Amino acid sequence: MSNVTLTIDGIEITVSKDKTILEAAKTAGVRIPTLCFHERMNPIGSCRMCVVEVEGFTQPMAACDTRVQDGISVTTNSGQLFRIRQDSLKLILVNHPLDCPVCDKGGECTLQDLVFEFGIDKVEYHAPKQDRLSEYATSLIRYWPDRCIMCLRCVTACREIKAIGAIDIRGDGYGSQVVSVHPDKCESCGECLMVCPTGALTENLSRYKGRPWISERVMTTCTYCGCGCQLELNVLNNSVIGVTTRDDAGVNRGSLCVKGRFGYEFIGSDERLTKPLIRKNGKFQEAGWDEALALVAGQLSKIKKESGPDAIAALSSARCTNEENYLFQKFIRAVIGTNNVDHCARL
Amino acid sequence: MSDILFSSWGGEIIDNRGKDPRDFESVSNVTLPGHFKQDQKIKALFGWYGIVLRSADVNIVDLCREYITEVQAKSCGKCFLCRVGTKVMADTLTRICEGKGSSADLSILSRLAKSISESSKCNIGQSGPVPVLHAMEYFAEDFAEALSSKGSISAGTYISKLTAPCMDACPIHLDIPKYVECIKEGRFQEALDVIRERLPLPGVVGRVCVRPCEYHCRRTILDEPVSIKYLKRFAADCELAGKKEPEYRVVPSAKKGNVAIVGAGPAGLTCAYHLAQRGHRITIYERLGEPGGMSAIGIPDYRLPRHILRGEAGQIQKMGVTIKYNTTVGKDIMLSRIEEESDAVFLAIGAQSSTMMRVKGEDQGYRGFIPGVKYLQDINEGRDPYPEGKKVVVVGGGNVAIDCVRCSFRVNKSDVNLVYRRTKNEMPADHVEIRDAEEEQVKFHYLTNPTRVLAENGKVVGVECIRMELGEPDDSGRRRPVPIEGSEFIIDCDIVVPAIGQSIDLSLLEGTRGIETTRWGTISVNEVTKQSKLKKFFSGGDCETGPGALITGCAAGLKAAAGIDRMINGQPIELDEDDCFDKFFEAVKVFDPTEKIGLLGGQKSRHLEMLPPEIRKHTFDEVEQGFTAREAMAEADRCLRCYRVATVAV
Repeated sequence: MSNVTLTIDGIEITVSKDKTILEAAKTAGVRIPTLCFHERMNPIGSCRMCVVEVEGFTQPMAACDTRVQDGISVTTNSGQLFRIRQDSLKLILVNHPLDCPVCDKGGECTLQDLVFEFGIDKVEYHAPKQDRLSEYATSLIRYWPDRCIMCLRCVTACREIKAIGAIDIRGDGYGSQVVSVHPDKCESCGECLMVCPTGALTENLSRYKGRPWISERVMTTCTYCGCGCQLELNVLNNSVIGVTTRDDAGVNRGSLCVKGRFGYEFIGSDERLTKPLIRKNGKFQEAGWDEALALVAGQLSKIKKESGPDAIAALSSARCTNEENYLFQKFIRAVIGTNNVDHCARL
Repeated sequence: MSDILFSSWGGEIIDNRGKDPRDFESVSNVTLPGHFKQDQKIKALFGWYGIVLRSADVNIVDLCREYITEVQAKSCGKCFLCRVGTKVMADTLTRICEGKGSSADLSILSRLAKSISESSKCNIGQSGPVPVLHAMEYFAEDFAEALSSKGSISAGTYISKLTAPCMDACPIHLDIPKYVECIKEGRFQEALDVIRERLPLPGVVGRVCVRPCEYHCRRTILDEPVSIKYLKRFAADCELAGKKEPEYRVVPSAKKGNVAIVGAGPAGLTCAYHLAQRGHRITIYERLGEPGGMSAIGIPDYRLPRHILRGEAGQIQKMGVTIKYNTTVGKDIMLSRIEEESDAVFLAIGAQSSTMMRVKGEDQGYRGFIPGVKYLQDINEGRDPYPEGKKVVVVGGGNVAIDCVRCSFRVNKSDVNLVYRRTKNEMPADHVEIRDAEEEQVKFHYLTNPTRVLAENGKVVGVECIRMELGEPDDSGRRRPVPIEGSEFIIDCDIVVPAIGQSIDLSLLEGTRGIETTRWGTISVNEVTKQSKLKKFFSGGDCETGPGALITGCAAGLKAAAGIDRMINGQPIELDEDDCFDKFFEAVKVFDPTEKIGLLGGQKSRHLEMLPPEIRKHTFDEVEQGFTAREAMAEADRCLRCYRVATVAV
């Protein structure tokens, strides 16, 4: 792909000609405000925050879905652009409730940040309250229809990233809304809530457990299967209050399945085993690690000696990492001396 | 003399208010028809390019309210400014019209109108506030009066319609922006559903349409049109690749009747499809052993593979439509008998007789003299029309002529010529087809006309031609070709194929009375309802209009189906609102190629991969390879979504 040279706010930059103005601006170190744009999706173009002016062209254009051309001169800030961006935000605020103090997203909300940046302290536009369905929700995902700004990130993510298309926009004009068009297809993977820039989609498990900025985020690998998805455990007072992801991390690049995203409550469960148990006289009794391991080692050695290594078979778990699984089969083959080894993910 | 009081159409201001009608300046960039329906005088037009006002008793503020309310209702909701902004505007205007407005409302209106039109995602938001801005600028006193009067303004009578340049240009008015958007978003089946609301032959039309939509694509102003035809084909191919069958919903009419259709071509099949969806019982009588009519005979397999046509006709048969093949009406069964058995008859027999060239020797029955339609039919049925002949001269400049030359290589003709009396610029054939034929090394003889077919021993040995030059423009606007005296020359050949036009074989009408024909030998029907003077008979397609586009035939089938359904249900057959808007938009052009669009272009159309000329010229395999999903989505992304609303005050 050949390169083109353009200027953005007076900065000359050379980029590949398949880049958008937004991408070129990023390379040039110029920030253009965005709201609906998301790196992992095709440009949506619903928010119009990223409009820019191109010299010689009368119509402001969305930087996210306009490709660069050689020799163009782009302006990212002007009175006109400021008015458009302000109007776009004001029109959202016609409906969006200012319930930031109790919103899960408060403090990490893109809308909140932009309203602050554009200094919107009053909205002179009015329209009747939108009468929206709240049916789009699962037991794990909560939908707050009033907070939804219809940026369509959730719809796009469901369709483009997950290739499911469970949700879509229906209706016309002011009455249009995001609804569940194929509820049977929804797997509660939570991709939608992860990309939601406001608090319109929230996780149902962690409400009121803690503000987003006070928890510690610990990067780790998901333990549910061998994919090795990267996730961040949100930890507060040594307990996990939520799971988030980063778009730049791991093979999953921000995506998770329903288990990885929502299946974290077991970590702090009272019923979780934290010590080994040994069955004595038909009953499980708590034991120390040394005692338990010595018992297992002794029994395995005994069986191997009496009946040969092929009397032993081993099954490992998908909950272990790839490295642990590798070590496990090495142990069974090299130390025990049998090929009777398998893995639950194959069953 | 102009009767327009004020026009801001396209930003060109003509203000005749307060002038003596004799001094009215005329409006040159738009024609406002006198009437909408016969008894409805048009008082004003509010639309995407501005205001055209004829009558002083239209309240502009109320018209603004109506217009923006319509725009809001048609907004797709996919960008903030249009979705919420037009609602705020509509409510503000309603408030003003109710006498509850304040001066702050005016600043809200003008600020929002600017922001919405400057930055909306698609043309509905970009064009919607335009006439309101014009109104606020040039009818400020009307707004001031509305604010000060405190009484409510009585609402006028308005009719509105959503259209788009492509959609309006499409004879069957497919909702092109909608299905293109479905493809852009990867919802391929939904795209096909949108097409099938009106057209049952997406795979066929997606391959061979003459695509008026693309010639009216607003993207052309920026760079190149969206490849709409290929996108349609892509949607149809996706379903085939997924081995899926369409599901049709039958919504029966109150009364169901027996309908006979003569001809299983595009018009007949489309009519059958729409009537079957309303629960009528349909029998199609087809002369050939194959569905498709002219599209089966006239379009070679390398452009339209036979299985596509058979497949889509088969889907219509699965809806309960009976097709009686190899049945010639007027010979195997008489039209009067069909009339007795049916509640309505749709004549869609096409135009398949070749027009005479009026040159010496064409009526002598020479071997090697083969009319174009016959030539194509033989080849399409797998026969070489005249194996002895190797050097071909085809006469004509339409798509049939191009199909004849391109087919010739494929039946091993070594020397293939096309003779056309005007230049390439005037050729009615699709320019893409012409390019393909050039690549396959057809020899084009422009400004050349045959004067005599030469023969020896009853076999063609050549054709005498004369050089032409272009003179004054004729009725069609094209410059009339004039022979250059003494410039005769001979092209040696052993096959001459005239393909200068087709006429209609009306012999099936023998023995019936009341169906009128025109002086061009076509069947005379109401151009909108497709009903003939004999109430039970409808007709459409090539036999109504003369040889035309496939999609035009389909459109006629759709219109006839609506008329037939109404007749069976005892409803009057008259022009509905959509029909009136069709006529209205013919005058008020939906597409203005001179429009200035202030957006960055530079994104060329994607074209289909083609077999190389050297290989394809000898094979009947499909030449064009369809889009991949990624290509289709990227191409669909080029659509500017040029929806726009027109409101007419009557």
